[in-house]
Amino acid sequence: MRSGLARSALALLLVCVAVVVVIPVLVLVRTSWVEGRGRLAEVITDPGFRSAVANSFGLSAAVTGLAVPVGVAIALALRDPRLPGRNFWQAAVLLPVLVPDFVLAYSWLRAYARAGLTSEAFGFAWPQVQGPLGVTVIVASQAVPLVYLITAVGLSTRAEPTTERAARASGARPLTVLRTVTLPLLGPAIATATVIIFVLTLGTFAVPQVIGAPAGFRTITTRIYADLALGSDPQSFVEAITLAVLLVVITVIVVAPADRLLGGRLSLSRTPARDSDWGTGSRATRILIPIVLGLYLIFTCGLPLMALVSAAFTRAVGVPLSLGNWTLDNFLAVLTPRTGQALGRSLLLAVAAGSILLVLGGCTAALSRTRSGRAVSVLVALTLVLPGSVLAIGLLIGYGRWLADTVLIILLAYLAKLWALAHRPISAAVDRLAPAGLQAARASGAGLPTALATVVVPLLRPALIAAWGLCFLTALHEVTMSSLLYGPGTETLAVVVLNSADLGRIGVTAALSVLVTVVVLVPGGALWMLRRRSRHG
Amino acid sequence: MADVLQLRDLSLAYAATLVLDSVNLTVAEGEVLALLGPSGSGKSTLLNAVAGFLPLRSGEILLRQRQVATASSAEPPEKREIALVFQDYGLWPHLTALDTVAYPLRRRGVRRDLARSEAQQLLDRLGVGQLAGRKPAQLSGGEQQRVGLARAMARQAALYLFDEPTAHLDAQVRDVFLAELAARRRELGAAAIYATHDAAEALGLADRVAVLVGGRVIQVGTPQEVYAQPVNMAAARLTGPVSLLAGSDVSVLVRPDWAKLGGDRTGIVADVWFRGSHTDYVLDTPDGQLQLRAVGLPAHGRGEEVSWSLHHSWTLPGD
Repeated sequence: MRSGLARSALALLLVCVAVVVVIPVLVLVRTSWVEGRGRLAEVITDPGFRSAVANSFGLSAAVTGLAVPVGVAIALALRDPRLPGRNFWQAAVLLPVLVPDFVLAYSWLRAYARAGLTSEAFGFAWPQVQGPLGVTVIVASQAVPLVYLITAVGLSTRAEPTTERAARASGARPLTVLRTVTLPLLGPAIATATVIIFVLTLGTFAVPQVIGAPAGFRTITTRIYADLALGSDPQSFVEAITLAVLLVVITVIVVAPADRLLGGRLSLSRTPARDSDWGTGSRATRILIPIVLGLYLIFTCGLPLMALVSAAFTRAVGVPLSLGNWTLDNFLAVLTPRTGQALGRSLLLAVAAGSILLVLGGCTAALSRTRSGRAVSVLVALTLVLPGSVLAIGLLIGYGRWLADTVLIILLAYLAKLWALAHRPISAAVDRLAPAGLQAARASGAGLPTALATVVVPLLRPALIAAWGLCFLTALHEVTMSSLLYGPGTETLAVVVLNSADLGRIGVTAALSVLVTVVVLVPGGALWMLRRRSRHG
Repeated sequence: MADVLQLRDLSLAYAATLVLDSVNLTVAEGEVLALLGPSGSGKSTLLNAVAGFLPLRSGEILLRQRQVATASSAEPPEKREIALVFQDYGLWPHLTALDTVAYPLRRRGVRRDLARSEAQQLLDRLGVGQLAGRKPAQLSGGEQQRVGLARAMARQAALYLFDEPTAHLDAQVRDVFLAELAARRRELGAAAIYATHDAAEALGLADRVAVLVGGRVIQVGTPQEVYAQPVNMAAARLTGPVSLLAGSDVSVLVRPDWAKLGGDRTGIVADVWFRGSHTDYVLDTPDGQLQLRAVGLPAHGRGEEVSWSLHHSWTLPGD
């Protein structure tokens, strides 16, 4: 194994990491130094610049403060195996991440803003949804599933049920157990979740763009977009790259101390419930939890998606939701060759990204025991928290001369951003492989290729499907980098939706959003089934 | 003597599967009851029900004459005067040995410094005082289980529950732990239930042995009784090696030490096992295969014809 094959795989990885991550970031920093020196003072003293930085920080803090407690609480609530419909709830709380972020943001507007669904149906409107508060709540609702997953993994790996039973048997009441045993054991998981949510929110773009920008709420990412997409003077360009470098610096400052926490690999697989996993919740909480969760999901996803669908099928905004006002006009208006091409391009990009990343992620995982392999995997892990805007600008400056306005530069951006998503599930599965399995196969007379094919690949199959699916779906969602990198004739479907929302075409945007959601949910559901089958089969 | 624990018609189920079926048991003051059964027989379930972690389907549990659980009501674990020692130790990864042992004391309201000095004394008594500052990851299995035992002792419970505490310990460490346990037992004088699948542990440690098979208690008695007078073949096999010989009208059970070489019966040596302190023979006899234990080195080889005799046997009741 330690042969030419391993060496050439390593070389491939190093070249790829250099091309998609290292060179773009270095070029970005160098350009900001060369171009920005003269104008930096002007840029930094601009009140718009300062408010964008302050808003980004405020948003990240608020989202973290909201999402972490809610996600931890959900993870704790869903641990009781006697909870009715536990499997359903475990899947349902992940729903908000399956809906593309710009679609969810747009749906919230259709549900809660003026002339929205709740205002039509119950006479209740919540105008603040269009502004910082709305941005915070929506971004938080998409962060909650991530916190939930990280906490659930922490619970299953660190807080063994016996540790809690031991505390009860030592005389501790349930709340004391939570305070003295469960939460301290969850400390690392909660810290990881906090850092990840804070950094991911710094880099979030779609929700602030759709909901915040029209209300004058600008963050670093939306200001970069405005600078590059709308501004044409050198001043705007300098500001964009300065903001991008600032994002890198902040990210590094936040993540560096937490590197130890991020280093621990988080596998997102659910551990099977053991029969020793007895719940301690009371009957009352088992009734209350589903009700609260149900209301939460209706508020964050159910009503917004209903509003989206009804906006897509009605003639005009504000008309009553009666049968006579139903129409397919919005969908007919959407079904243009341009939309079809964008859809095809998105699917092609997502399939290409998923497939290439499967190879790259697999190589990274396989080589992570060597020193240079580990260095690559650290770089790869960093791309997960590196804001998409930064990568996009870096790629634009680095390769724009040759690749600007091509699909290829968008593909490079996806590879850079999603590599970690492919790497993590595969490497977690590789770590779980017992070396004895391979040795036993060899000792039973199987050659190395046969041994790999018969006892390694079948065990990795769920992880490989998960890795491909994660990359495919996230690429379909992606709008932060695509919206900066697209050119005439290279829009992705997500970019078409975003532009349509910017133009204020409500019915058409809703129809497009429904289309995008279906495009994401159908393969998502299929992949999920496939993964389940490969796990149980 | 008053009973510390009474289980009356205790039944318990996971979904549709009955795991404990009408169990009746008592544990007297100062008594150690061994719960002997194969894995999956319901030993852990029974201990967890007594501790208050599992709801009952029917029956009741009385601790010191006080009802603590029925099908409809249950006192929470922290209110019951019990202490648990776990198979997988159940130590808290974030707490040092000292804080672990101080934990039950703190829950009783003991001041932090007092709790710590008392915990240190307990650790000292168990010979792990020098490890007080270590966390579980820095302790060996045997050390972890001593910390677990010290934590249970700190609870000052009426009833101690041991859930196969030696299952993860290797033979040598296990013997040390058991010797420790026997010594502490005399000191504490507290009642205990000791669940195990190991006949030697159960017979050696307990005042009485309850044999649990498939969720039912099939026999309760002194170690001597359950060894010498098993109620059926399953109970006989659980309590030690046994042979079944065809008699003139009924079959009889024979323990290896109830037969000896020399005498009026004959057999062919099928197997010889030298055990160090003694030698086990397997003989093919006209009445069936017989295990026979003899002191000293092997004196016969495979295929050799030997003579033997019985000085004791047991006829299963009802046969």
